[in-house]
Amino acid sequence: MNATRTKKVEPLDTAAPDPKSVEAIGRALEKHYASLIEAPLPDKFVELLARLEREHVPPTPGSPDALD
Amino acid sequence: MPSTNFKDELLAEIRNLRAFAISLSGSVSLADDLVQESLLRAWSNSEKFQPGTSLRAWLFTILRNIYYSNYRKRSREVQDSDGLYARRLTVPGDQESHLDLEDFREAMTKLPAEQREVLTLIGASGLSYEEAAVVCQVGIGTIKSRLSRARRKLVEILQLDEAPETPGEPKVRRAG
Repeated sequence: MNATRTKKVEPLDTAAPDPKSVEAIGRALEKHYASLIEAPLPDKFVELLARLEREHVPPTPGSPDALD
Repeated sequence: MPSTNFKDELLAEIRNLRAFAISLSGSVSLADDLVQESLLRAWSNSEKFQPGTSLRAWLFTILRNIYYSNYRKRSREVQDSDGLYARRLTVPGDQESHLDLEDFREAMTKLPAEQREVLTLIGASGLSYEEAAVVCQVGIGTIKSRLSRARRKLVEILQLDEAPETPGEPKVRRAG
């Protein structure tokens, strides 16, 4: 099933580094991501959704599939 | 027409969507374009979202597809001229960590995009292996494999395996 969805076959390779390194990476990643989450958000996204709702923008017939 | 409820649910995901976009594209300005386009597409295709499934994973799938279809090349160009990503977004954090955040960010940029995204999805965005597999359109085995490679590559870049010893307890983040 997998082979039909992957373009190239990757050898499965799940050897993990030592647990302490994995933990250090995990912590750094969480901090890094938290800094992105907490960063000031431009108003334009909230405004966009408000406008779409206000203008009653309907689902677009024939629009490209969202998941394509 | 999508419901107000759907709008509120989208609003609640914007920060996560943007964080993923920045991680994926390596550029704040590209990420903002990506988020904008993803929200528009999500809104237009709201009827395709299956209630009960993860809206976050659905939005990430949309954003990722837009990125790989239209933005990847631009992303490389911007990264080249921008240098390190997300610097503009840096918020004061704790400086006590033994793994410097700036070093970590730089190391992340050196990962292949397919490893960086899996690491982000699983390690930070809170997606399950199954959801990450759907977002990346690969099997779970491939997700696990990419995750391992990403970690090993980071260990190598950051030379974590060469540290004489790992400090015992991480410093507790200062309150406030």
